[in-house]
Amino acid sequence: MAAINHPLGGARRGLPIPSPFGGINWWIVGAIIIVAVSAMLPVLQNSTATSEGFNAQRSRADEAQLQGQVSVLEADVAQLTSLSRIERRAQEIGLHPTSNPIYVHVDVAGPEPAKIPSSYLPPVVAKPLPPAPWWRSIVDWLP
Amino acid sequence: MPHERGHGTRRVWVPAAFFGAFALIILGRLVQLQVVEHPKYAKAAENELVGSNTVYAPRGSILDRNGDVLALSVNTWDVYVNTNVWKDPAKAAAGASAIGKALGLDPAKLEKSVTDAAAGGTVDYLVQRDVDYDLGNQLVSSGVPGIITQQDSQRVHPDGDVGSSILGITGTDNTGLAGIEDSYNEILQGKAGKTIYERDATDQPIPYGEYNAVDPVAGEDVELTIDRYIQKMAEDTLTKAVAQHQAKGGDIIVMDPQTGEILADATMPGLEYSTLDLNDPASLALLRNRSVTDLYEPGSVMKIVTASGAINNGVVTPDTTYVDTGEVTVAGITLKNWDDSVYGTQTMTGVLQNSINTGAVFMEQRLGTAAFQHYLDAFGFGQLTGIGLNGEAPGIFRRPTDPGFSPVDVATQAFGQSISVTPVQMITAVAAAINGGKLMKPHLVKATISADGVVHPVQPQVIRQAVTPQTSATMRMMLNAVVEQDPPNESLRNPTNYTAGGKSGTANIPIYGTYNDTQIASFIGFAPLNNPQILILIKLDDNLDLMTGTMAGGPIFSKMADDILAYMGVPPDKGPNKP
Repeated sequence: MAAINHPLGGARRGLPIPSPFGGINWWIVGAIIIVAVSAMLPVLQNSTATSEGFNAQRSRADEAQLQGQVSVLEADVAQLTSLSRIERRAQEIGLHPTSNPIYVHVDVAGPEPAKIPSSYLPPVVAKPLPPAPWWRSIVDWLP
Repeated sequence: MPHERGHGTRRVWVPAAFFGAFALIILGRLVQLQVVEHPKYAKAAENELVGSNTVYAPRGSILDRNGDVLALSVNTWDVYVNTNVWKDPAKAAAGASAIGKALGLDPAKLEKSVTDAAAGGTVDYLVQRDVDYDLGNQLVSSGVPGIITQQDSQRVHPDGDVGSSILGITGTDNTGLAGIEDSYNEILQGKAGKTIYERDATDQPIPYGEYNAVDPVAGEDVELTIDRYIQKMAEDTLTKAVAQHQAKGGDIIVMDPQTGEILADATMPGLEYSTLDLNDPASLALLRNRSVTDLYEPGSVMKIVTASGAINNGVVTPDTTYVDTGEVTVAGITLKNWDDSVYGTQTMTGVLQNSINTGAVFMEQRLGTAAFQHYLDAFGFGQLTGIGLNGEAPGIFRRPTDPGFSPVDVATQAFGQSISVTPVQMITAVAAAINGGKLMKPHLVKATISADGVVHPVQPQVIRQAVTPQTSATMRMMLNAVVEQDPPNESLRNPTNYTAGGKSGTANIPIYGTYNDTQIASFIGFAPLNNPQILILIKLDDNLDLMTGTMAGGPIFSKMADDILAYMGVPPDKGPNKP
């Protein structure tokens, strides 16, 4: 009688309650999810790459724009330092061309030139040591 | 129960054969397209898919010796209109109104021009070149219907016409056409780059599509030996002198005689950006720099070379005497002094002081034809100086081996007739006579500067030792004696604040193998005496007031020498301002 009512040999089993996800093969679901994610990855990659590509193009366009503005500014600076503008400005502030400059001899040494901060100086290149004479290696062996 | 094997009926194999044949045709066509004609279609696809752009390099600037900008390029826009878009009247009206307002053009005229261009088959109609960069940006972003803009660049000159005859011009493709812009075009232009990319339907690069770029190499800046202040001074002085003496034109050249650097080179008539009209053939004649292209007979200034050669060879000294009778006969031809005067017993220094033609012939005859013409060669006459401007003339003088040669040719060459030179040749020769005897190569370029800031200087070049340093020192003293003739307190040709030396020349202009009354008046001088820092040549062409080189050119030299040396910070070595 045990064999009829307990085909699994007496193992306890709960009452068979119907599952809300009854009949779903989770392996298939998992596989579908993996396939979907795998499919989305290249889409996301391409989308990011395309966006960055457009950003790169925009940066290049901005750079070209800035180069153009730099050239205009350089021309403006050159115009501001032109001879005619300097002459006009000098006259505006009351300067006149000199006709008889006075030269004065000063027998005193001039001031020391201002020191440039070391960070602006070119790096000091260590002078290479002269090669050791051929007999040095022999002498070094002596006590 | 065994099944009987079915036999194919016509209803089976006929359609099968038909479809099989059809499949074979398709297959054959595929083989033809994808195998046989593969290269052709691959090329067509590549042409369709791949775009390329030339990226022009920014043109280098031209600077003066102090780094001030004389010429530079600024970005501009060329504005076009697509005539197909403007076939729509509403778009044409809107576009013409917007562009006309921005560029100051009449919208109605613009619209008509575009319509006429469309009727002629033009698709892209050029509205205006070199539109201001910021203005062009506004047009680009304004969404004007049918507008097409293309980046370009334009050469600007902050100092206006100063140095224009040296700088030259560029064309619409930003290639040099004259002057330094032309002769140094390869250095200034740099190297264009190229981009090759996969493009979409709007001709835009596909992001992360294949993109190969060759970066453009920016043009190098060219630093001239010219000082813009001295250049402006020379140009203003020349303009006044030409007007005052009613001359057809002239030259003023300022050189550092020790190095051959040209500090200023003013020529008239010459190129002026403010009045240049390339459609006028007369303007094209102004594109050349006359100080290197045009020949003239220098007159008595050549006596410096004659005396240098005679002293260098030891056939005369400054105190050697001869008797001037006012004329000398050579090969049956009588040659007279320029003023028909008779000077009697004169030293060689006196020959220069009084500019005696017979004295020059005396020195030439003492030298001999071969030796004299050797010195003409040694001082660079009849050869290109290599100054670095295109169109330079070598000059000419007749030699014994030339047909029609006569001893009169050499005799007149001694006082600067029968020999044609350029102003640059003349000043270069005199520089050699007073700088220790070295014939220096005249040059206009001091250095080139690459885009990364590396400076490549141009070193002064000694062509040859024309005369000894002792001869050169002697010539300086003799030429000093010329200017010291000025009465005290009168700066005819003697600067007020600096010791100097110089020589005038007044030469008739040859016309069809003879001479008429037209003349070229010139003066060449240097200062200070013992260590010349500047050498100035003043030349006036066909001055109708017929003033001599001394009267017309001397005062210009004395004033310019005082002004230029003061500007250069050279302390006076004589006069009331001597420290």
